Amino acid sequence: MNDFANWLAGTQLSLSIQTHLWVVPTIQSIHIVCIGIVLASVFMIDLRIFGWAGRDQSVLQISRRFCPWLWAALGVLLVTGVLMVIGEPVRELMSLSFWLKMSMLLIGIVIATLFQLSLRGNRKEDEFIGRWTTKSLAIVTLVVWCSIVVLGRLIAYDHVWGAWSLRPIV
Amino acid sequence: MDIGAGLKAIEASGLAGWIRDSLYAFPLIESFHVIGLTMTFGTIAILDLRMLGLASANRPFTRVAEVLKWTWAAFGLTVLTGGLMFITNASVYFSNRQFQWKMALIALSGLNMLIFERTCGRNVRRWDNDKTAPPSGKLAAILSLILWISVIFLGRWIGFTTTGNRTPDTEINLDDLFQ
Repeated sequence: MNDFANWLAGTQLSLSIQTHLWVVPTIQSIHIVCIGIVLASVFMIDLRIFGWAGRDQSVLQISRRFCPWLWAALGVLLVTGVLMVIGEPVRELMSLSFWLKMSMLLIGIVIATLFQLSLRGNRKEDEFIGRWTTKSLAIVTLVVWCSIVVLGRLIAYDHVWGAWSLRPIV
Repeated sequence: MDIGAGLKAIEASGLAGWIRDSLYAFPLIESFHVIGLTMTFGTIAILDLRMLGLASANRPFTRVAEVLKWTWAAFGLTVLTGGLMFITNASVYFSNRQFQWKMALIALSGLNMLIFERTCGRNVRRWDNDKTAPPSGKLAAILSLILWISVIFLGRWIGFTTTGNRTPDTEINLDDLFQ
């Protein structure tokens, strides 16, 4: 991974991201705007599952309203995320926070996919959202996405992991 | 007491010192700031898009606007965590150009909201079920989106203009680090 990060840091694209001061904050800002879309979308679906908001709509309707935004924002997050890795390979790849974040991201995506698939396969919606698995996964998924935000920010502060940090203490 | 001395006093407070000295406090406060601000922006965007007729157009506006109580909760979290970050380095933030612009734009967003509520929002019953808000409402929605996205950009910019440790990682000699 060191070698890879090292090589990546020397590529033309990486160098041009590094040398233009405005690029990194701009990419990060777009990244944050899209996180806003993801978090709010997940939150709205969760609120409906718990019956705290949007009860004039079915879960399927809410899901159709927010899932496309969720996936589109995740697409932009992927692009801006990859650009950040290319721009600062050592900062990203050599941090424990980054890899924990990627693991959580995988869990978040799996849960979101399972949710959409099982919602589509379910004719009786009340029974579906009444299940304890649906309700607990709704909570888990919100925690997962919030932890992704925290871990994302912690990439800048990998020292919080102490000896576990992949970044040697300077 | 002049402002400079006041800011110094805030920085010297026990709470500010504790956050500065802690290895974990500032990163975690900043993380929750991001959770708060993304929730604030995301929920506001839901309402703005509804006013523009770009999403949830079939639901009454007032129904969609129920989301605002979560917006305020998230905004509260963002202000609290933002305030905690501010006190650790008050005089630097206070004189930072990006910070000043950010505060100004947040104030403008508030003003935009107030004007909307006093004008277009007052006769909401007339357009509650329409696909879009009246032109003045649409304008408020566009302004709101532009202002809040700008606030996010300026906020991220503060981090690059107030700390000197943001030099690119590539300046670190990799051979020294990973041998």
